[in-house]
Amino acid sequence: MPNVSGKAYGLTTFCPIRNGHKDGMANSSLIRKMLQDLPEDEESPMANVANTYMARFYILDDAIFESYPARLDRLQSKYLVFTSNFHGDLDTYLTGMWHGINTVIKQLWGNCVGFEKVDSAQSFVEYIKKCQLTNTFYFNGSTDDPLQEQLKSLFLKQEFSKFVFAHQGVAANQLLQEFKAFIAWSKPKVLAAPAWKAGACSPDGG
Amino acid sequence: MSNIAGKAYAMNLMTPFKKNNVWMNRLLFWIARLPIVQKSAFRGLLTLSIIHYARWVIVGRKQLPWLGEEQPREKLNYAYMFFFSNFNGSWTQYIDSFSIALPVRLNLMWYKSVGKPGTIPETPFNQYVLKNQIWTDHYYSAYPMASSNDVKSAKRVKEQLLNLCENLDTVNEDEFMKKYNRALFELQADLSQMEPTPVVSLANEAIKKQTRLKNHIN
Repeated sequence: MPNVSGKAYGLTTFCPIRNGHKDGMANSSLIRKMLQDLPEDEESPMANVANTYMARFYILDDAIFESYPARLDRLQSKYLVFTSNFHGDLDTYLTGMWHGINTVIKQLWGNCVGFEKVDSAQSFVEYIKKCQLTNTFYFNGSTDDPLQEQLKSLFLKQEFSKFVFAHQGVAANQLLQEFKAFIAWSKPKVLAAPAWKAGACSPDGG
Repeated sequence: MSNIAGKAYAMNLMTPFKKNNVWMNRLLFWIARLPIVQKSAFRGLLTLSIIHYARWVIVGRKQLPWLGEEQPREKLNYAYMFFFSNFNGSWTQYIDSFSIALPVRLNLMWYKSVGKPGTIPETPFNQYVLKNQIWTDHYYSAYPMASSNDVKSAKRVKEQLLNLCENLDTVNEDEFMKKYNRALFELQADLSQMEPTPVVSLANEAIKKQTRLKNHIN
């Protein structure tokens, strides 16, 4: 199935935006402004959607003209394009997305055709599936582990690298004692904490 | 508005091709999906290891979602290929790497796309990509400071750490030292700090400048 690579899922959606204006601004421009004003990194609403590896939004205004002798295509609607790479299955992911950020979802999709019928997680899942396009080819150059697993591993890589650098040439007894202390602090088997926070630029959230 | 989230760059391309070539493009990708072909066809990409996730989506002339009478029907002359990539590094590095690592396959992936030059020489190809690129309005990465290689190496680091944790209460210090050194030998290509690279710093600087201008702050 071309939407899936192992346990990673590539969601591609094109949601038609209602033609028209509001307060002197085209609906598509309103959505674009909202998107551009969204906070980034760990403050991004997508940081609150479980298992999102990477996601993007953009407005597709029109088809691209390749110059003469190509023919000119004009789209009849503008589209809100939303794509996401995540771990797991689509229904669980979209249900979590609705429960995590439905206020933002209602703002972003509020001017899209057919969204007026969306008022629950189930109707959101159904709506997104209507807007979904099947990938022709999906390439996973990373891992397909759950996000929490990836974030914990990144935290351990960062901290263990520091540990190794600081313990070069240390005597065996000291190394063993301090490694035990490192393991007690970093808790490799506990995914929740300490770990890298989703969207953060450093393990301490900076 | 940003195509950049830390070390990741979001590329969106939209390229037209004639309706008669849809079946051929689909067939080429169907072949590319066969496990035996995929392994060899994408060896160059896997070796480069600069891509987190990428996808190609062929949309026929009448296949854009239609959600009811409120939405006018599309009347398109061409089918379109949408390409979405999440990669590490700069735009130029990516396009150059792509055209050097996969010149023939790249031509097949965009088989008979309208207006597409060959992937080599690179300058006309770069211009074509730039012309067909659509900017991202909001881009999110769960680990902005991690490259695709960091994510993969972090998995290996965790596995080695868990291995080192076995019998930690009973192991003697000399045995542990041997085990520790062996683990470091295995991990020598995986241990590093994830810090902003020059490309990331320049991009962040550009974003801050844009925000300052937007908010009318000098």
